[in-house]
Amino acid sequence: MKFSVQNVKNGCRLGLITDLGKNGTKSIETPMCMLYTRGGNAPHLTLDVLKKIQRVPPMAHMYLSSLAEHSEAVTQFKEGIAHFCGMQDFAVYCSLHDPATEVPSGYNEKSGTAIWTKGGKYKLDVNHFMQIQEAFQPDICEALYDGDTNKDSTRKRLLKAMDRTLNYLDEIQDKWKSSQKLQKTALFGVIEGGFSVQERQKSAHETVTRNVDGFVLAGFHNNGPKTEMFDLSQVTEICQKTMECLPENKPRLMQNAWRPDKVMEGIALGIDMFDSSYPYIVTERGCGLVFKFNVCASPEEQKGNGDHLLGFQINLADKKYVDDFGPLLEGCTCYACQNFTRSYINHLLNTSELLSSVLLMIHNFHHYFVFFLFQPQLILNSSIRFLFQTISLFCIQDGRIL
Amino acid sequence: AHALSLKILAECSTTKARACHMTLPHSIVETPVFMPVGTQGTLKGLLPEQLEELDCKIMLGNTYHLGNRPGPELLEKAGGLHKFMNWNRSLLTDSGGFQMVSLLKLAEITEEGVKFQSPHDGSEMMLTPEKTIRWLDRCIKAHKRPHDQSIFPIVQGGLDPELRKKCAYELIKRDVNGYAIGGLSGGEEKQDFWRMVSLSTDILPDDKPRYLMGVGFAVDLVVCAALGCDMFDCVFPTRTARFGSALVPSGQLNLKSKIFSSDFRPIDDQCKCSTCKNYTRAYLHTIVTNETVACHLLSVHNVAYQLNLMKCVHDSIKEDKFPQFIKAFFIQQFPNKDFPQWAIDALDSVNVKLNVNTPDNGQSSVDLQIDYRQSKRKTNLQGPTKLACRALVMKQYKTALNHLLQIDEVKKELVNTVKKTINQEVNKVCSDKNSVLRSSNIARFSWKTVHKQLLNTCPTTVTS
Ligand SMILES: [Zn+2]
Ligand SMILES: [Zn+2]
Repeated sequence: MKFSVQNVKNGCRLGLITDLGKNGTKSIETPMCMLYTRGGNAPHLTLDVLKKIQRVPPMAHMYLSSLAEHSEAVTQFKEGIAHFCGMQDFAVYCSLHDPATEVPSGYNEKSGTAIWTKGGKYKLDVNHFMQIQEAFQPDICEALYDGDTNKDSTRKRLLKAMDRTLNYLDEIQDKWKSSQKLQKTALFGVIEGGFSVQERQKSAHETVTRNVDGFVLAGFHNNGPKTEMFDLSQVTEICQKTMECLPENKPRLMQNAWRPDKVMEGIALGIDMFDSSYPYIVTERGCGLVFKFNVCASPEEQKGNGDHLLGFQINLADKKYVDDFGPLLEGCTCYACQNFTRSYINHLLNTSELLSSVLLMIHNFHHYFVFFLFQPQLILNSSIRFLFQTISLFCIQDGRIL
Repeated sequence: AHALSLKILAECSTTKARACHMTLPHSIVETPVFMPVGTQGTLKGLLPEQLEELDCKIMLGNTYHLGNRPGPELLEKAGGLHKFMNWNRSLLTDSGGFQMVSLLKLAEITEEGVKFQSPHDGSEMMLTPEKTIRWLDRCIKAHKRPHDQSIFPIVQGGLDPELRKKCAYELIKRDVNGYAIGGLSGGEEKQDFWRMVSLSTDILPDDKPRYLMGVGFAVDLVVCAALGCDMFDCVFPTRTARFGSALVPSGQLNLKSKIFSSDFRPIDDQCKCSTCKNYTRAYLHTIVTNETVACHLLSVHNVAYQLNLMKCVHDSIKEDKFPQFIKAFFIQQFPNKDFPQWAIDALDSVNVKLNVNTPDNGQSSVDLQIDYRQSKRKTNLQGPTKLACRALVMKQYKTALNHLLQIDEVKKELVNTVKKTINQEVNKVCSDKNSVLRSSNIARFSWKTVHKQLLNTCPTTVTS
């Protein structure tokens, strides 16, 4: 994998990932978001339905918490995790945790990290981690780390997380050299340090000397739907100071339920790679994304929405859509909006029919992916600041705290 | 134009099965056909387009459920169920009256009819043949769209042959597009079940489709197609998908089982569905019952399996190889030949002998009885009932002819001539859209000619 920054404007980076995938043939522009998966497949969408979404990112985001249990079968299979899951058309980024599921705190140890699988707690030491990665052969691998820190973590805990993470990385790199199967896999180092600028910078410096292919910013929170409300502004300075320590020509990734306004904040901080757990979380609560990149849902449409909705989404289960025969979002070119009405989705949600999630997922993915494809234009036109302000203003006007 | 026309492409020369083209306003359906059940205006997580890709031409929508949610007013506002759910092909809906059958616990059979218990308030209701018929007459009267909607009244009567006959004979007097056989998917004994099905198909006219409600296990589909049923529906393939079960020619695979964890074959390497094209058993094993996408993947495959099974039945009837198909199918499902007794008996009634290894060798005295006493005895009957009796006799002739063929190969040509005569008459009736039971085409059918021909063919074996 190679990465190069093509353009920088107001701190926002326009980059290009190339030489991606087993054959090194894939490339993708950044800022980008990966295709969020569950159990190695797009949530609710069979492959043939996924193909109905135009502009699906060429990189799928998989994670060990949902797949590690099956590593034996993948080992026997020999062709790697993408092929095992029927996702061989995608490059795979493999992380430890699911961004959409909260990771219980307090189970990491010096010898390894706990991930939470369907069967419960699953201990992962470096040896086991390497075995799995050799079986999975992802295109990008996130190194084993201890990211169980947050705003309230003590300095002692931060140091522990940092030391463990660096130790894991050293061990991994040591074994990596002799692994035939992982020669084409890029390795991302994980930067720890919680909310401390000092520890963050230290972690960044140390990780940079390890010569990894990219960087992950972890240790801010424990993942899960709550991170939709994660206030990026409280770590703006920390992130800026951390980014200063990182080389230009390597991509940076952070896992979060990236709300659209947060995406733009993240881009302004210099983050290149995002996940798409946000449209999944929105789908799970029966909502459809309707933000129009610079105009949010009308105040009228927001009525009856929960507190967390902030005008980016509408709740299709709401009574007012019972006889609304318009598409989920007027003008949307997605398969769901082209073929089905708000009224029908409302009926499906109210009768707990599985097709509701399928249609919402199609639209929400489509909308989110198009939003990402729109970013370069926004960045180059310098409109991102303006856009960000519009959204902030709107949300504050609506009487909610951003 | 009629909302439904049935063209019989071929009749099995051994069993009561037939292969037809059923032309409906939204599609032409090959029968025997399996119809997936979209209970609430959706088929369990599948897009209508996915069903089209599986070549599904007709599905079931449940107005009993739709009656409550979203309700008839909303459906009307939406421009109809087709538009609401974005399904452009044929849709079969029920009208409350009989849906009770699959929703209710079968309580007891009394002299007056079948007593059911309502799932909603526990109150009991009686479903008598009279009630069904009254309901039908109301439906026909209220039928607003004869050109794009068909009415299928339901042959009721539980497991009581007399009730069922009574109901069937009453129903065939009415001008409708087809007939449903109901009240038989509530867990009754299979031996009773098949006899009720066979009794119903014997009475129902040949030129209208017969829809056996709520039946969908592969074995039942094949047997009941042989008994002369044309349409089937069942939630089974999608329901079983939810529990991680995949339908295959040998039965079912429970993909939750650990034995599939490193089985890198598709569910069925002969299957052309998108699931079998893209996924292995091993992968499906990792997501069944964890991820909704697994339900969808198995539903796609299971519906594909049912549709393909019926396509094979259709094709084999057309090639007149249905008996061979039945035998091959049963061997796949029961490699140890431990066939269920009810299936052996049911198939035996239509001349397919599952357990017979040596073919009949001719000289044995097969007792052929053409029972047209029934028609004689009831000559005082008027109109359609009389016609139906004659139709029954016609069928018995055909059965007799098939026996003759088995006994005496030499007489084959003669027998075929007789069969041709019968078929010509049948086709004449069937092709005349306005005839059916109202006109007296069947009555004009020259029985004497056929009977004479038959006696000439094999005078010693036919008794009357
Ligand atoms: Zn849309
Ligand atoms: Zn299949």
